[in-house]
Amino acid sequence: MTTPTIAKKSKRQIRIQVTNTFLTGLTWFLVFTLMVPILLMLLTSVRPRADITSSIAPLIPTVWHFENYVKMWQTLKFGPLFVNSMIVVCTTTLVATFFAAMAGYALARFRFPGADAYSLVVTGTQMIPGTLFFIPLYLTFLWIKNNLGIPLVGNNLGAIVLYVGFYTPISLWILRGFFAAIPPDLEEQAMVDGTNRFGAFIRISLPLAIPGIVSTAIYVFLSAWNELFFGYTLGVKTVPVGVRAFIQGAAGTQLRYDYMAAASVVVTIPIAILFFALQKQFISGLTSGAVKS
Amino acid sequence: MAIPVISKPSKKTFGAKLRRYRIAYLFIAPAVLVMLLVHIIPTLQAIYMSFLDLNLRTLLQYLHAPWVGLEHYSRILGGLISGEGDSLVKGLGQALKNSFWFTLWTQAGTLVGSLIMALLLNRKFKGRGIARTLVLLPWVVPTFAVGIIWQFIWMQKGGLANRLLVDWLHIVDKPISFMINQNARFALIIPTIWNGLPYSTIMLLSALQTVPDDLYEAASIDGANAWQKFWSITMNYLKPIIFITTMFGIIFNFFGFGPYNIAVSLFSSDNLGTYVNLLTIAIVRQTFNNQLYGYGAAASVLVMIVALVFVGLWYSLFRKQLTSE
Repeated sequence: MTTPTIAKKSKRQIRIQVTNTFLTGLTWFLVFTLMVPILLMLLTSVRPRADITSSIAPLIPTVWHFENYVKMWQTLKFGPLFVNSMIVVCTTTLVATFFAAMAGYALARFRFPGADAYSLVVTGTQMIPGTLFFIPLYLTFLWIKNNLGIPLVGNNLGAIVLYVGFYTPISLWILRGFFAAIPPDLEEQAMVDGTNRFGAFIRISLPLAIPGIVSTAIYVFLSAWNELFFGYTLGVKTVPVGVRAFIQGAAGTQLRYDYMAAASVVVTIPIAILFFALQKQFISGLTSGAVKS
Repeated sequence: MAIPVISKPSKKTFGAKLRRYRIAYLFIAPAVLVMLLVHIIPTLQAIYMSFLDLNLRTLLQYLHAPWVGLEHYSRILGGLISGEGDSLVKGLGQALKNSFWFTLWTQAGTLVGSLIMALLLNRKFKGRGIARTLVLLPWVVPTFAVGIIWQFIWMQKGGLANRLLVDWLHIVDKPISFMINQNARFALIIPTIWNGLPYSTIMLLSALQTVPDDLYEAASIDGANAWQKFWSITMNYLKPIIFITTMFGIIFNFFGFGPYNIAVSLFSSDNLGTYVNLLTIAIVRQTFNNQLYGYGAAASVLVMIVALVFVGLWYSLFRKQLTSE
């Protein structure tokens, strides 16, 4: 009597085990599939130019042409582009995240007159198509340059102002949730001890919101690093603008796929580094913010 | 989204209130200033411009440009509705159609793909941490690089897709031209999904982790099968995240610059032919190439109205799901 039950049970266990193995295998297969374009990018960046457009040349090159990177760097004049992008994007990330933290904090702590309307406008900014305001934006910046003497066109300062304005609304939207989750008692304690509101914000609340701040900062960094169209409109010489000019300039003749692949790798590296270094805070910040809002 | 305001009948005057919340206004001041400068002032100007006849000559002094009222709007709307507009409006109509299908497919693909990935990654298995990190990688690739990378896959000669289909699996006899005609649509949709999948997956995964295990156990005791458990428990927890990420996904794919960046670098040009000419790209090209700044602004205002109506509808349709958490 007992034998069949055991056999039945183990059969069921085997079925569960097979399903589990299959699902794990499927997971890794899909993860690998998602990685393929990235692996291909890395491989292509060290292949000889002629191989890339040949259907018989090996995918993995026999000789690895690391000089593609050197030549790309020289041809695209990548150094200045990279420096510009770094200055613009790092400054933007710091400033936008700080502005957003302040505003997000205010929205989470005070129910001031106009808070509702302000939240609505913040959300509304995300519904404005970029194609609507890029020309007046350019004209406004030009007007400021001509009349107030602040050079906002064709240089890094203009791009910084632009991107801070771009990414502050969405960031404060994310950060508000984080500040709302921090109990106000600690700040009040600090304020009783003689700190003012701003001091309490800097010393107490900001450190407690670090996961949210990190994930917001990475989001801003990635978005600003990606931004092509408005940078191009304002005549800023950042990496995306430079790469686009190179591709379009070459479109008539033959595209330098080897340089383009090398450039793709180089533009991905800063974000990859940032991402891996701050991964833990990033994911915890991203997810807890999402669950709260 | 909006902050609930406690409607306490207050005897204080408005001025006293402002003074009381002075610190709050100081805290939001920097954010308000940059938003005014970058979003609000240019947008108001753009709306004004959409009523003007603007060309390169009148652009810099646009306050003195001739007022044409609703002419641009009637030209676009009239053309779109009657289907007999001039070539520009026809192009715009085609781009609208392209963007609609592009958004639909991209969003559907991202949702289904990320749901599968999130459910798979939520299981316990060896190396789960590594798998979760690797899945996020496509998101780190800048959008303008995404287009470049996918060229190496779609290329007719030497591209990975044709190597796979023709040389390795022998499914197809002749190399396929992925980047022209109808095929170009999916040549653009697939990389966009690839790039957007990680973010959506992580969001869904985080929501999955909030589902208490005892709910499943209770359902099992009640005799629910796996499918029923998925629909009644799992989906219930995923709904709020799905509705909010889908809404933003739809807006960003419809008029955002992410797809623009991918398309421009994928096809090495912003002249994208009939099938992948998205709304953003079409408006930018029409505005610049024909110096129709007022017309371009009017087209963009219409796009904004579509977006606002969409968001309003979305909220009123799914308000319950959005707040059911």
